[in-house]
Amino acid sequence: MSSSFPEGLHHSIAEPVNRSVDSLVLNYGDHLRQVSDSLLQVVTLLESGLRALPWWLLLVLVGALAWHAGRSWKRALALVVLMFLIGVVGLWDKLLQTCALVLVATGLCVLLGVPLGVLLAYRPTARRVLMPVLDVMQTLPSFVYLIPVLMLFGLGKMPAIFATLIYALPPLVRLTDLGLRQVDPSVREAARCLGANRWQVLRNVELPLALPSIMAGLNQTVMMALSMVVVASMIGARGLGEDVLIGIQTLDVGRGVEAGLAIVALAVIIDRVTQDYGRRSVRQ
Amino acid sequence: MHLLTRWLTTAALTLAMAGAQAADPKPIHFGDITWESGSLITEVLRLIVEKGYGYPTDTLPGSTVSLEAALARNDIQVIGEEWAGRSPAWVKAEAEGKVFGLGDIVKNADEGWWVPDYVIHGDAEKGIKPLAPDLRSVSDLPRYAHVFRDAEQPEKGRFLNSPAGWTSEVVNTQKLKAYGLTDTYVNFRTGSGAALDAEITSSIRRGKPVLFYYWSPTPLMGRYKLVRLEEPAFDAEAWKTLADAKNPNPRGTRSLAARLSVGVSAPFHQQYPELVAVFEKVDFPIDLLNTTLAKMSETRQSPRAAAEQFLKANPQVWHGWVSDEARSKVEAAL
Repeated sequence: MSSSFPEGLHHSIAEPVNRSVDSLVLNYGDHLRQVSDSLLQVVTLLESGLRALPWWLLLVLVGALAWHAGRSWKRALALVVLMFLIGVVGLWDKLLQTCALVLVATGLCVLLGVPLGVLLAYRPTARRVLMPVLDVMQTLPSFVYLIPVLMLFGLGKMPAIFATLIYALPPLVRLTDLGLRQVDPSVREAARCLGANRWQVLRNVELPLALPSIMAGLNQTVMMALSMVVVASMIGARGLGEDVLIGIQTLDVGRGVEAGLAIVALAVIIDRVTQDYGRRSVRQ
Repeated sequence: MHLLTRWLTTAALTLAMAGAQAADPKPIHFGDITWESGSLITEVLRLIVEKGYGYPTDTLPGSTVSLEAALARNDIQVIGEEWAGRSPAWVKAEAEGKVFGLGDIVKNADEGWWVPDYVIHGDAEKGIKPLAPDLRSVSDLPRYAHVFRDAEQPEKGRFLNSPAGWTSEVVNTQKLKAYGLTDTYVNFRTGSGAALDAEITSSIRRGKPVLFYYWSPTPLMGRYKLVRLEEPAFDAEAWKTLADAKNPNPRGTRSLAARLSVGVSAPFHQQYPELVAVFEKVDFPIDLLNTTLAKMSETRQSPRAAAEQFLKANPQVWHGWVSDEARSKVEAAL
């Protein structure tokens, strides 16, 4: 015991943190719930839209998307079969719920992540400040911020989307930044010489050249969003994660494996499609 | 040379210590159950076993199901608070004689559907109006669905069920059917105990109406003024229809009175008869337990410290459980 940390130096920040979370809930809770309720409308709209589509039409759409991305009939067919199998094990409805959640979270990631990446690429100060923040976002155990977020924004889909955002945003920001910084300076110079302003250079030269890197970032973001699905179900967001959780809690290994494999299948489908689009952007 | 002697002394010391440790009796492993009443009861029992009877103890973490499985294999020896008879794994192990449920440690342990008191009576101090003044029983719920509005389906009310995978989740889902609430209420499964607690606490802190499944003994019960909605009197036949998720026509009844006991493994039962006798007499008065838990959770005390304080402050509660010799030993150690 002689080697233990001296007690005189103990100082806990737990109490002030608890107090500030409590006062946040008291003072801003109602307000923030209104914001999250209106965002929730978007998610439920998307979800009911997906569910309104007949299952075969959705399969056809996924097949068409996969073909458009990769121009390979074989691959498109394989992905459609994979999705069909998720339906076969009876998880179709949950698949759509998960899809809606992942799509909204990814959409928000793109809206936030790409501009942030641009900022990082252009402003070294911003990079010095934001890089450590990104590290924290990726490593902080999600339950640490999940429960306070839940108390502020309510139970269910919204805190799940927030948590996914925090966890899945960093790769997109990093890879957007990387892609932009790897653009050959001479190309940039050439565009400037031809009279393009900064915005035009960014939009028409740099972003297109950085697109493969950005697509790789997007791909990573989607994969990480999917891996948050189980955690999301622990705060009442329905979907495939729910079945994994039930499987664990009731020692129903089979059910957990089924839902787990469905998540993997969904990941494979999204991964192949986004990667194919990424590769196409390289060729162009 | 000096360095070498020192190194040798250290090595010899380490060896001696290892030898001493091997000579010690194997500690009694308690399941490290994480809900508040469970962790407090576990620590109270550990203090009595350690201080009063001189056996070393230890805890091993795990989920309820895995701890029950571990108890059946004697990987752990004691689960401090076991809701005996609720989980299939436990029932099977008990029938096979691998585990024993000792005593009736918290009488009147309760579960049901609750709302904060201010929903019915209002709270003039905080300026909360009574939103459901005539809410008494589950049969009044359809009238008040708009009070407990669900954010995802605003035309319905929200009932906070326990997380999917808990036994109570099945019962509550069947109850919703039995009470004819499926059209007016969303059966919202909360995903984890932490999420259920956080949502209830957040709602109560903000003075908003909330309808939820909960159970006692818990800190929540001691901390806030809550009202339990009345349900039809207990009926064993109706209870069977509630416990069976596949039954299409469940009939309503209040939940089976819970029997909380100390779960022990068969080898423990054989090896420590004097501890078995103690565990059989354990009896926590539920109101005292609820207030102790509320204080523990509010002041964020560790369960160990709360258990010590509990033993010190309430000698009348535990004196009857232990032998006179153990009693004086525990008191001396506190």
